[in-house]
Amino acid sequence: MRIAIAGKGGTGKTTIAGTLARALARTGREVLAIDANTNPNLASVLGIPPASANAIVGLPRNLMQRTTHEDGTTTTKFGADPEALIREYAIRGPDDVQLMVMGRVGHGGAG
Amino acid sequence: MVARAESDRHVVVDMEAALEHLSRGTGRHVSRLVAVLEPYYRSMETARNVVALATELGVPDVVVVANKVRDAADREAITEFCRTHAMRLVGEVPYDGQLADVERSGRAPIDAAAGSPAVVAIEALAGPLGSDAPMAMTRLVGAT
Repeated sequence: MRIAIAGKGGTGKTTIAGTLARALARTGREVLAIDANTNPNLASVLGIPPASANAIVGLPRNLMQRTTHEDGTTTTKFGADPEALIREYAIRGPDDVQLMVMGRVGHGGAG
Repeated sequence: MVARAESDRHVVVDMEAALEHLSRGTGRHVSRLVAVLEPYYRSMETARNVVALATELGVPDVVVVANKVRDAADREAITEFCRTHAMRLVGEVPYDGQLADVERSGRAPIDAAAGSPAVVAIEALAGPLGSDAPMAMTRLVGAT
């Protein structure tokens, strides 16, 4: 299943998403968690230590290719092989959950 | 160690209410979208918008899970709102004071608060959420 967890910030959706990912992994299935938040913090709910989490490279934001058709509709698809992206960008955490983070807006410098 | 099959993989995406990463093209690639809400009006309204938008974007199964539910009054408010707006409430996670401490420390609730009420509730939802079978809507205890 491909499950999206969505909601207003502060509702606890990240707690639910991360705990759900760990629980699903414990059923023996491979689990890929994707953090699509502007301020990513799914890593800590997954139990990935801060040092590893801070080293995660976000997926480039220009991955999606949008094509506009003659009738004005658009379709969007990945411009890259998903398995290759996972091999390059995902890190593994407890219960073997893999985590990818959607790319952040560039930061101005050390904060 | 037996490698887990990629074809059996679950994907869990944590996204904001604006569903920024979904479009008409990608909405159909999501099997199920869970709108999370808390028992207060603005949170429930946001969830209502999430449900409408996800449905419009072609997500085949759009459901709601209530979080931080404290008591019967919370449950009543959520159930009534979901009934009014035809939102499919499929689960409830209780308010759990243990989580605040754990999250302040940056640890995973499933590790540092194993067995606490919210963690147990989320673990119980994993089976139904991860199954491709349609989910049953929750009912108020004692409701007619």
